[in-house]
Amino acid sequence: MCGIIGYNGFREADKVLIDCLKRLEYRGYDSAGIGVIGKKLKIFKEVGEISKLEKEIPTLDGDIGIGHTRWATHGSVTRENAHPHISQNKKIAVIHNGIIENFKELKEELEKKGIKFNSATDTEVITHLISNYYKGDLEDAVYSAIKKLKGSYAIAVVCEDEPEKLVGARNESPLIIGVGDNENFIASDIPALLRYTNRVIYLDDGEICVVSKNSVRVLDENKKEVNKKVNLIKWDFKDAEKSGFPHFMLKEIYDQPDSITQVLRGRASEINRTIEFNEKIENILSNGLDSIHIVACGTSYYSSLAGKYLIEKLTNIPVFVELASEYRYFGTRNEKSLIIGVTQSGETADTLAALKEARNSGCRTLVVTNTIGSTATRISDAYILSQSGPEICVAATKTFTSQILVLFLIALKIAMIKNTIGTDELYNYILQLKELPREIRQVLDQNNEILKVAKHLKNCRSVFFIGRGINYPLSLEGALKLKEISYIHAEGFAAGELKHGPFALLTKFTPVVAIVTNDSTYDKIIANIGEIKARGPQVIAIAEDNDTEIDKHADFILRFPSNLDLLSCIPITVILQLLAYHVANLRGCPIDKPRNLAKSVTVE
Amino acid sequence: MKCVILAAGEGKRMHPLTFTRPKVMLPIANKPIMEWNLLNAKKAGLKEFIFVVGYKSEMVRNYFGKGEKWNVNINYVNQGDALGTAHAIGMVKKFTNKFIVLCGDTIFGSQDIKNIIKKEMSIGLVKVDSPEEYGIVETKGKKIVKIYEKMPKPFSNIINAGIYHFNNKIFNFIEKTKKSPRGEYEITDSINMMIKNNDIEGVLLKEWRDVAYPWHLLDANEEILDKIDKKIEGNVEKNTCLNGNIIIGKNSRIMAGSYIEGPVIIGSGCKIGPNCYIRPHTSIGNNCHIGNACEIKNSIIMNNTNVPHHNYVGDSVIGQNCNLGSGTKIANLRLDKKTINISLNGKKIDSKLRKLGVIMGDNVQTGINSIINVSSIIGNNVLIGPGAVASGEIKPHSKIL
Amino acid sequence: MKAVILAAGEGKRLRPFTETMPKVMLPVANKPILEHVIDAVKNSGINEIIMVVGYKKEVIMDYFKDYKKIKITYVEQDKQLGTAHALLQAKKHVKNSFIVLAGDNFIDQNSISNLIKNDSEYSILIKEHPHPSKYGVVFIEKNNLKEIVEKPKEERGKFISTGIYKLPKTIFNKIEEITSQGTYALSSVAQSIINDGKQINTILADCWMDIVYPWDLIQVNESMIHNTTASVSGVIEKGVTIKGGVSIGKDTKIYSGCYIVGPVVVGEGCEIGPNTCIFPSTTIGDNSVIHPFSEIRNSVIMDNAHIGSSSFISNSIIARGSIIDNNFSSVPGSSTIEIDHEFKQLKNLGAMIGEDCTIGSHVVVDPGVIIGRKCNIAPIKRITKNISSGSKVM
Repeated sequence: MCGIIGYNGFREADKVLIDCLKRLEYRGYDSAGIGVIGKKLKIFKEVGEISKLEKEIPTLDGDIGIGHTRWATHGSVTRENAHPHISQNKKIAVIHNGIIENFKELKEELEKKGIKFNSATDTEVITHLISNYYKGDLEDAVYSAIKKLKGSYAIAVVCEDEPEKLVGARNESPLIIGVGDNENFIASDIPALLRYTNRVIYLDDGEICVVSKNSVRVLDENKKEVNKKVNLIKWDFKDAEKSGFPHFMLKEIYDQPDSITQVLRGRASEINRTIEFNEKIENILSNGLDSIHIVACGTSYYSSLAGKYLIEKLTNIPVFVELASEYRYFGTRNEKSLIIGVTQSGETADTLAALKEARNSGCRTLVVTNTIGSTATRISDAYILSQSGPEICVAATKTFTSQILVLFLIALKIAMIKNTIGTDELYNYILQLKELPREIRQVLDQNNEILKVAKHLKNCRSVFFIGRGINYPLSLEGALKLKEISYIHAEGFAAGELKHGPFALLTKFTPVVAIVTNDSTYDKIIANIGEIKARGPQVIAIAEDNDTEIDKHADFILRFPSNLDLLSCIPITVILQLLAYHVANLRGCPIDKPRNLAKSVTVE
Repeated sequence: MKCVILAAGEGKRMHPLTFTRPKVMLPIANKPIMEWNLLNAKKAGLKEFIFVVGYKSEMVRNYFGKGEKWNVNINYVNQGDALGTAHAIGMVKKFTNKFIVLCGDTIFGSQDIKNIIKKEMSIGLVKVDSPEEYGIVETKGKKIVKIYEKMPKPFSNIINAGIYHFNNKIFNFIEKTKKSPRGEYEITDSINMMIKNNDIEGVLLKEWRDVAYPWHLLDANEEILDKIDKKIEGNVEKNTCLNGNIIIGKNSRIMAGSYIEGPVIIGSGCKIGPNCYIRPHTSIGNNCHIGNACEIKNSIIMNNTNVPHHNYVGDSVIGQNCNLGSGTKIANLRLDKKTINISLNGKKIDSKLRKLGVIMGDNVQTGINSIINVSSIIGNNVLIGPGAVASGEIKPHSKIL
Repeated sequence: MKAVILAAGEGKRLRPFTETMPKVMLPVANKPILEHVIDAVKNSGINEIIMVVGYKKEVIMDYFKDYKKIKITYVEQDKQLGTAHALLQAKKHVKNSFIVLAGDNFIDQNSISNLIKNDSEYSILIKEHPHPSKYGVVFIEKNNLKEIVEKPKEERGKFISTGIYKLPKTIFNKIEEITSQGTYALSSVAQSIINDGKQINTILADCWMDIVYPWDLIQVNESMIHNTTASVSGVIEKGVTIKGGVSIGKDTKIYSGCYIVGPVVVGEGCEIGPNTCIFPSTTIGDNSVIHPFSEIRNSVIMDNAHIGSSSFISNSIIARGSIIDNNFSSVPGSSTIEIDHEFKQLKNLGAMIGEDCTIGSHVVVDPGVIIGRKCNIAPIKRITKNISSGSKVM
């Protein structure tokens, strides 16, 4: 959620901090600030994006400092609530990522001691605690302070009286140390530092680090020094650019013919009529699988629901999809279970916790992610990269379709191993997969038709999405996309459920988007549409090219290519993405960075 | 007085050898290019070093550490982005104010370094045969007038050698230097600015060797090997024949029937023989296995590589961790005896050599009886199958079956 | 010195290939023509490019977003009104003399260098051409331009203008003057300067190629591909013969029995064979699949194409995403094509097939036939006439 950076070295700290913060901006961007110690401790913080901070900030001299980009969890977005927070004597500055669960009691205690609070944040409590305990040794003060904290935190602290020290501490929020030459860093994650160093130390929960210009010490909860491994990071972080599109989201929707090709590259062979993964993955998918559990959050949960249909249809293995945040509390599993974690960033806290839990129970773990080197890839038995390239827009688009395709490839592979699919059938699926990019291009060509329909949705208060079978999770995703970026209330329903309650909400001001595929669910959904229209709302159908019947039932129709069977979910998703995009654009919403949302949620 | 060595560059023209190591770490006579500079600088009296690193900096750091092995003191500064020589030199501002700068990928002699130390504010100059490939320097007496960019018809054959003696005045000019047409901050631009109000002297060098393309490593290897003295540390069996200047490292075993004609250097922990033929100007790294019926000539073989049975390697550079299958042979002479053209990175270059074998990266495996054609460039992690023929440029991770 | 590259045009005469991308992005030897032009510009010593974009600009900007070899600044021409008007959009980015060239005409770096080095304030690159009346014919006097005549009715003169000029910053005033009078071609501006008494120096260009019609793509591909050096990536199975300058991209698999004779360029992620023959001068794009027993020669196959088994493709263009079933034949031969109310005789031309077509098995396409985008052709058909985009042949 929030992004943290600390620097202690020979370069100008303010420039280094702002540079690194720019690379952390995807984590949170409602406000930002830095603190630098030169002769004295100086702070500058502001509401808004890093680029705004960069323009307005004066030069802060010094070669040690901390920087923060904020995604609000406690307290509204104001300058006072932005980090760093400073102590009453203005000598100690603290930045924080996480949630302090007992901050109210701590705040009361401190206020009784006469401390005046300037903000509504939980972070400020940490600052005043450290300041109270400070008696000349910063890490001692931090030790004592964190003993009183309940909750999650990754913090970085500097003190004007000890300008050679940068202290960090971690509990359940990510924090790493970047080891440089004549300089060292603390950060929330790796991309922030890669420009300056590729050597990192991962801090574990309960540890504190003391970072000086030429050395790094890590201490455990008993203040004993710990020897930590220095890891070499081999990957590159390249920035994406909008390339002439008005928004990253539109560019990323248009990237899909390419991102789909990338998912298939090296895995689906048309000539050899086979799906190939590396040996590790093939081992995990073989050797008798009884059940598959997929854990995920948000959009990934919906792609997993779609994946469930595909895997069950092709392999006859029971698939359970669970919200990662709930997995820890329920879930049955054994050694013949495969747990698949689906997470675009590889850092989603809830999903990581579920994977750790699964591992501890002896299950096989597999991760589907877009981020190489992420925590998820390190804690699972094997991982499959969706290879979509960086996705900058907070709302997931190409990573969603890539995730469904990876799950489809997994389904095909297991089906091959279990012989539940014949070679001809497999070959047909491979051909269909290879044709997907051009089918998507066909959908993208209908941009203008989708825009016309979006105009009808622009002023609605509520929009409902319905679908049956695999189209049900797509309706959930369609509603989520619309909600996320246009701020219109939207909900997805299994078409059969409408009459069990939600019908009451339907009026002529609540349009319904119905996903209609020519399969066994066709007649039923046509019937559902009839029921809906009888109550007033306009119906927008997403239907196949050669479906002529639907014209009689829907008010507006958006078409996708016929004869794609199981893979229809991909072009349908693209239509839903474009629909949401255009509605949001017509309403003037800030599409790439919706209010209150962050790309990767690392708190639970 | 500190010695700053610029070691941040990737050395793209040295692909595929520089995919896994920075250019300055390429070995010549079993020492990285940079170590030759360190030793010569140490001989010239310098003991405090600052290495400006960047690309694959961990390789430099892991090898040199803090300098204890050579009794010198090494400090590191990370350049971050490769923005040019002026940017790199500017990084050391906080660490020194009187210093020598060496380009880490060019080998300088110790006497020349001594001469540069004697003159504050000087740059090294050298005479070359093909000045159109470098930037020439115009002098008036001993003073430098201007350093020029590369030009097709240069009016002099004296070029900028890449070794400088600066004091902290240079930093002001570095800060004022603008980006050159190729997008970098060049120290030559800073010097040209400084010349306007300060005197800079040119010092002509006697020894100088730079390497641009992989086959130049063989020339440099030859030159340095010609100067070595005999030193045998390993275990040499009876019925071997060792002629000329040969260095054999600790724990290396030379088995019966081996015929070695110096100058040759063999690293430590190697297993050589039985019955192999190692000809002049060959460098073999550590932990290598050169087996029965193998012949190696004028080549560089890096650490942990096996040339184990019935192989021929001539005029080649072979990377680390390679394994040649039994019978793998490397062709090094065109049947029509013309000079050899090499295609590297998509460009055709005339090497002007009559003999050139293979430039092979790291982790390459070849199957039995496979054939590597003249002037092949084989990338890292390539697999060449049994009986396969490899020709031309083969990019990393490919398979020729 | 800076270069202004005009890349805003649609290239209507290149339809159906320009329906989804601007003319400058059509691939030749697996790189967009524009990339070849930019490479030549960079190698001639230019250090910054001002690119005038318009039609489908996202395709250009997305492709070059990671291009680091030279700085590119984009300006937009919102209405495609002509070359002089396009150049005018770059006005505020140009402070000194500059060169201007079209992004869709290939030019070699030496010619550009010569143009830059030329002393005269105004200079132009010209080329000898056997049929100059297709273009702007130039008449010269003592190495200076005397007259430019656009597409003259009779055959006269032997030199044409390449449209590549070196101009001073003051030219923008002249352009504003001329465009305000409703004339938008750069050649008219040039003529006006000559009439003012100024001298435009002429320099002979070494290598210049224009792509006007779809079949030009095949010819330009053939010329450009000769620079290919052999470089192999991916997996090459046993029993594959590769001769000459053949470049094979990453992750591509060439299966046993294939016979590839260069110059040939094969992109990344392709599957070729087994037992397929690829002859000069063929380019195959990324992620394409060529099934067994097919023969491809002197053709341009773009990304994501599928060619079914036992197909014969010669002197043809197959655009992105097209799926062609087995036993397809594009027969090269003579054809007469009507363009711009003229009939042109073309020799040795195969088929030109647009993007995302689906072609059934045993289809034969006559020489010179152009099939539009997203066409559907049923099996066992012989196509003798052009097919417009989106059509079905049953």
